[in-house]
Amino acid sequence: MVGVAFDDSPDDVRPWVEGITFPVLIDPDHLLTELYAISNVPTVIWIDEQDRIVRPNGVAFGTDMFVEFTGVEAGPHMDAVRRWVRAGDVPIAPDEARTAVGDLTDDEVRAKLHFRVAATARRGGDDATARRHFERAAELAPDDWTIRRAAMPLTGVDPFGAEFFEMYTAWQAAGSPYHGLQA
Amino acid sequence: MATVTVIGDEVRTVEANVSGDQLLLAPELLPAALGWKLEPQGLCRDDTCVPVRDSAALFVGDQLDVAAVAAALGRPAVVDAGAGMVALALPAEARRQALDGLVAPSFELADLDGAVHRLAEWHGVKKLLVTFASW
Repeated sequence: MVGVAFDDSPDDVRPWVEGITFPVLIDPDHLLTELYAISNVPTVIWIDEQDRIVRPNGVAFGTDMFVEFTGVEAGPHMDAVRRWVRAGDVPIAPDEARTAVGDLTDDEVRAKLHFRVAATARRGGDDATARRHFERAAELAPDDWTIRRAAMPLTGVDPFGAEFFEMYTAWQAAGSPYHGLQA
Repeated sequence: MATVTVIGDEVRTVEANVSGDQLLLAPELLPAALGWKLEPQGLCRDDTCVPVRDSAALFVGDQLDVAAVAAALGRPAVVDAGAGMVALALPAEARRQALDGLVAPSFELADLDGAVHRLAEWHGVKKLLVTFASW
């Protein structure tokens, strides 16, 4: 297992990974959200010994703590992982894996660039530039959680507060768009 | 002259001129800014050259327009000349090929203690890449 946190600093991540023994990496500029076309977390990707993707982006959890909210149970995915590790069973066909994620649109790519400018400006203390680019990013990709929700704690907004629920409602109304396997 | 932050394959800083909403660069600074060099055959890095049909179109006067160079490389870019910042994406074609070919894109990221890791480190074993966040 390799963890990748879309967070701004190691201190944001540490409370969540206490006792974890696998490597945990930090991606403050969200480079992997562009490389792997990721639009929400947690997103899990199965990669085989030859560095090929055998099961692309999918929502999966380690526990059932949020199951009432997400409707996604942890157990079935974890069982499937065990079957893959032990017996090499892959749960989806390559043709399905190829088309499940869907490429980023030009606007989504630009949104990720605006996020990167904003995060870098913020780290440099230029809050006005940061705010402008966070806003532009959200306009370009309103349903990308790695942009809009990630920007909340960086702009003084509670990521578990009213703005989160507003975004959640709008995202559901848009058909719960996600770059990856439907849960 | 302004110090400009270029967020691309890595984050670099370079001296550039701001002209309206354009960032203009002395040609000799292009490798320091983007990692590419303008040669007669096109934009080159290591053994790779991207042909440029009309290299004069990359220039404003005797300086290179950063946005035009990014476009010539097929890389989407956001330029904020006033703030002195540029961000460049990968060529869309590279991402599409990886998704279609089911090839896991390589990456280089630090762990929480600052040690840098690459996907290739775990070549030969199965990997569960788990992306998450505190928010």
